[in-house]
Amino acid sequence: MASIPRPGTSGGPASAVQSTLGRHRALFINFFRRELFSRYLGSVSGFAWAFLHPLALLAVYHFVFTTVFRAGQMNGKSFLLFVAVALWPWLATQEALQRGTVSIGGYAGLIRKVAFPHELVVYASVGATLVLQFAGYIAVLVVLALFGEPVRFQGLPLAILLWVVLAVGVTGIALALSSLQVFIRDIEHILLPVLMILMYLTPILYPLSLVPDNMRPWVAANPFGYLVGRLRDALLEGQLAPTWGDGVAVLVAAALFAAGRWVFLRLSPHFEDFV
Amino acid sequence: MAAPLLHLSGVGKDYAKLESNAGRIGLVVDLLLGRGVTRAFRALDDVSFDLNRGESLGIVGENGAGKSTLLKIVAGVITPTRGSVDVRGRVGALLELGSGFHPEYSGLANIDLAAALLGLSPAEIASKRDEIVAFADIGEHIHDPIKHYSSGMVVRLGFAVATALEPDILITDEVLAVGDESFQKKCVAWMENYLANGGTLLLCSHSMYHVQKLCRNALWLRNGRTVRYGPAAEIAQAYLAYHEEKSAGAKQPIAAPRATAEGYYAIQSLVLDPEERVAAGGALTVRGEVFSPDDRVPVVLVGLVRADGTPVYGVATDMDGVAPVRIRAQRFAFSLTFPALPLLPGKYSARAHALDPEGVRLFDNVEKAFVVEGATRELGLVRIGHGWNGGSS
Repeated sequence: MASIPRPGTSGGPASAVQSTLGRHRALFINFFRRELFSRYLGSVSGFAWAFLHPLALLAVYHFVFTTVFRAGQMNGKSFLLFVAVALWPWLATQEALQRGTVSIGGYAGLIRKVAFPHELVVYASVGATLVLQFAGYIAVLVVLALFGEPVRFQGLPLAILLWVVLAVGVTGIALALSSLQVFIRDIEHILLPVLMILMYLTPILYPLSLVPDNMRPWVAANPFGYLVGRLRDALLEGQLAPTWGDGVAVLVAAALFAAGRWVFLRLSPHFEDFV
Repeated sequence: MAAPLLHLSGVGKDYAKLESNAGRIGLVVDLLLGRGVTRAFRALDDVSFDLNRGESLGIVGENGAGKSTLLKIVAGVITPTRGSVDVRGRVGALLELGSGFHPEYSGLANIDLAAALLGLSPAEIASKRDEIVAFADIGEHIHDPIKHYSSGMVVRLGFAVATALEPDILITDEVLAVGDESFQKKCVAWMENYLANGGTLLLCSHSMYHVQKLCRNALWLRNGRTVRYGPAAEIAQAYLAYHEEKSAGAKQPIAAPRATAEGYYAIQSLVLDPEERVAAGGALTVRGEVFSPDDRVPVVLVGLVRADGTPVYGVATDMDGVAPVRIRAQRFAFSLTFPALPLLPGKYSARAHALDPEGVRLFDNVEKAFVVEGATRELGLVRIGHGWNGGSS
């Protein structure tokens, strides 16, 4: 007779996550579907929104940058394409962090009454957000390509890899923020301005090469900025091969994840009293 | 003997006491540094017991005694601050039925969710679904969102889910009071079948009747600590006696004038035989001496009351046409025997009152406590002679 699974038992990081997900696969799928459907299924058009929303945004950006600002070329590409490749991963990150941070609160009823590994909630919330955003990203790239923008789809495998690295890192940060949010309700409100500031400090609307030399190392040190640059390499230049820098990015993401999960597991045994 | 289904040793749970937001930040820092909760309220402290298969355990105690905390620890909802919990089996909880349901989901989707929460695989869930739907018996509503259910329907579905998953340990409170009449019958039948097949209950109840009927042992908690642990009948009696005393204390009965002064009839001494403990159905003798200021023969009233002050029986010398015996000037003796005391086990007192010779004015009141011992599941104060009519079972 197996003993019942208990939340909050710690172990080796990667294997522990794997075994948690393995044992609670059905529950994770259940939560994941809940997160996925709760966002769009309430509305009549369902999943169509998942694609309509990013495309509407794209149209607005086209209007602002191309029609009003008449922004022309950036690194030999149209400014719209240059921004789009980087902006959607950022929007995905932003939404995943915001939803992930408040995710535990949405499961308060369950956490008070039922035993299950609380981290599944964060995985489901962040995972569902990123999956939807990735789908929107692909839709945006396809539409851009249809309008004649030179999207290099051969770089897609590397781009997917970069998204996975992004997902791991974002999940780690979301784990830490979500567990802190249970105790300190201000996290959610501090997060929005912080993300806003980070967006402008990251080379999303501009290339790293335009940053003055003396400030460039600081901007370049931003791990998200690195991923954005590599996405441009992959999808604008058609680069396929991972670099040593990508290896470092993997390590950074893994470290963020491990640290975030450590914080989460320290705090999660006390959720029941505070959610 | 196999290892117990459930083993708790020295289990304690602290809840953080927080006064301010700064306290919250301090708490987070403490938790992250692994220092634990420093400013704590002890909800549960040093609770230990074993639960073997088929030996149900009742948990009794007042509100706030830590019963829910204990059940949550066993269910794995909270991790204990101290001590260890070993569970060898699947725990099912029949507490606040339907509390784990998602209101927007249909009944079927909630069955899947509940099963997934119990760690069942999708295949296992699929195999159980029909059984659960049949037991809940709420017809086509199973496809509607839970938020449109009546509370009775939610409870039926909750019971069906919790029980279909064949828990090794079933945590429950006042179980048998869910749903309508016919569903209650189904629940009772299920429970009897479950217990007959070696199921194990962890019953948290205010009903000593259920605790004694369903459990072998009981655990009495007060302020998070174990007061007593032992056979259910013994604990139930001790717990009831405690409550009787408590409510008697709260009432503060108006003390009759403590009249040893001249001019008052007074009980001088009161002796019980046996002194403190009487076997149920055994003999009890109450004897004593009365002071009579004018040397006239007083009337003595002897009564039996439960520990909370509820009168059970009283009789006076003049009712039976007897009189206390004069032993010397101003002193009279009385003696009264109950040959087969029909009181049910519990705490009681014998009271003697001194009245004037006319049996009108009550002057004095002396009380002696005693315990009636025995094991029985009968309810109430006294055993009343009875016989069941009809065939034997």
